[in-house]
Amino acid sequence: MTTSDSEEDSYDERSALMSSETPPVPSYQPEQSDPDPSAQGPVLRRAKSSERGPGPEPELDEEEELTLKYGAKHVIMLFIPVTLCMVVVVATIKSIGFYTEKTNQRLIYTPFSEDEVSVGRRLLNSFLNSIVMISVIVVMTIFLVMLYKYRCYKFIHGWLILSSLMLLFWFSYLYLGELFKNYNLAMDFPTVGVLIWNFGAVGMICIHWKGPLQLQQAYLIIISALMALVFIKYLPEWSTWVILGAISIYDLVAVLSPKGPLRMLVETAQERNEPIFPALIYSSGMAWMVGMANPAEGGRQQSDAEAQEAGGSLEAEDSPDPPAGAQGACPSGEDQEEESGVKLGLGDFIFYSVLVGKAAATGGDWNTTLACFVAILIGLCLTLLLLAIFKKALPALPISIAFGLVFYFSTDYLVQPFMDNLATNQYYI
Amino acid sequence: MNLERVSNEEKLGLCRKYYLGGFAFLPFLWLVNVVWFFQEAFIKPAYTEQLQIKAYVKWSGLGLAIWVAVLTTWITIYQHYRAQWGEVGDYLSFTIPLGIP
Repeated sequence: MTTSDSEEDSYDERSALMSSETPPVPSYQPEQSDPDPSAQGPVLRRAKSSERGPGPEPELDEEEELTLKYGAKHVIMLFIPVTLCMVVVVATIKSIGFYTEKTNQRLIYTPFSEDEVSVGRRLLNSFLNSIVMISVIVVMTIFLVMLYKYRCYKFIHGWLILSSLMLLFWFSYLYLGELFKNYNLAMDFPTVGVLIWNFGAVGMICIHWKGPLQLQQAYLIIISALMALVFIKYLPEWSTWVILGAISIYDLVAVLSPKGPLRMLVETAQERNEPIFPALIYSSGMAWMVGMANPAEGGRQQSDAEAQEAGGSLEAEDSPDPPAGAQGACPSGEDQEEESGVKLGLGDFIFYSVLVGKAAATGGDWNTTLACFVAILIGLCLTLLLLAIFKKALPALPISIAFGLVFYFSTDYLVQPFMDNLATNQYYI
Repeated sequence: MNLERVSNEEKLGLCRKYYLGGFAFLPFLWLVNVVWFFQEAFIKPAYTEQLQIKAYVKWSGLGLAIWVAVLTTWITIYQHYRAQWGEVGDYLSFTIPLGIP
């Protein structure tokens, strides 16, 4: 089976992680902080977080504290979708045999076969495969960035729509088929038709148009998982690991170097003040706040802020909503709404899941899988920490994938036999 | 998107589009409509467009209930009589279980 190349491009420029805090807004007068610091504290601090330049007595300690405090929240908010995606992939790998069956079919992106006898030859082929794959990705990314720069929006949208169509309809159809075969259930075409049509159409609406935030997040997680499963099935074993390493390096270069395509994409989008295409980015969409000079609004904001502090989950509905008055009656000139959430590219989801899924498929047992899982989450934490410090788009792949690879190989080849030996000899430490 | 940040007219427009879209064999869209706008329609204090939103949510709910009934009936019939239908049953089948007649 050859897959079209539309999905290739659409994931790699997703491998960027950025904070979505917009430029500073004017905060309200600081004298409101005095009467009730405990309750209004969170609100004031949050308004202050938006200040990067000189503001009314910027208390740097509070700002740093705030950065770290909200950094922690963002970490949790990203843990949940990444974990969900990995859980879906691992559950599928462990239960449905289809995705781990040996197949001679390969993607056209990995033309060199790994059925070689000698280790050296096999290694060489996997490196060549990864070179082919990475060059395809680089070409696609540069193409996409060029299109974006020259404002060929229609083309890009058409491309993204085609690729999400394929993911939402075709891959989910195949997945559903395998699921039913695995559990030996009968299913008829009309029902399957209705199911897939509903799933796909609502998915297209949610991702490309407007829909509830949670549903959009759920769909993005599902399509990342589907994509990861395709990769796990069709990429040869050794090539997978080499490709994972190579794409982390590419991600590092593409996002951080001044001429890197992903960096140019992010910067162009920020210059034009446009959001990056919804189909490429997972947005945690946390808090919306309004910075206004009106003390009455401040009171309402404070209760919302407390509700949000208590919630702190992925749900956007818990977040403090701008007071209803802000939409109509209040001076719109001074309002600026800020979304402080974190955005993670879908490519990151996909490659994290590929790593963990491959570990589950080929690794020894659950030790390896869990070790990779923990490694990736630690890498994600560190990346978010760096994001809080540097406050610009960062590559999310390198640290996590590096940890993941190290943990996979060390667990599979060192820890696993060690634990087995201990258990066999009944030696408890 | 967050419904709180959106004006009432837009909410109404969105609810209406979801309702109309559901007629394209999309009961899931009606389900999303009901769940998403439930709070807007029934729990929030009244505002001008709320009546219409309520109507749309109710009709979406009704459409959803009809679809669920139809689908359940069809699935039950299919699962029960599939083996007896012989060739037609196989023709209709997406997956055929092994080992069970």
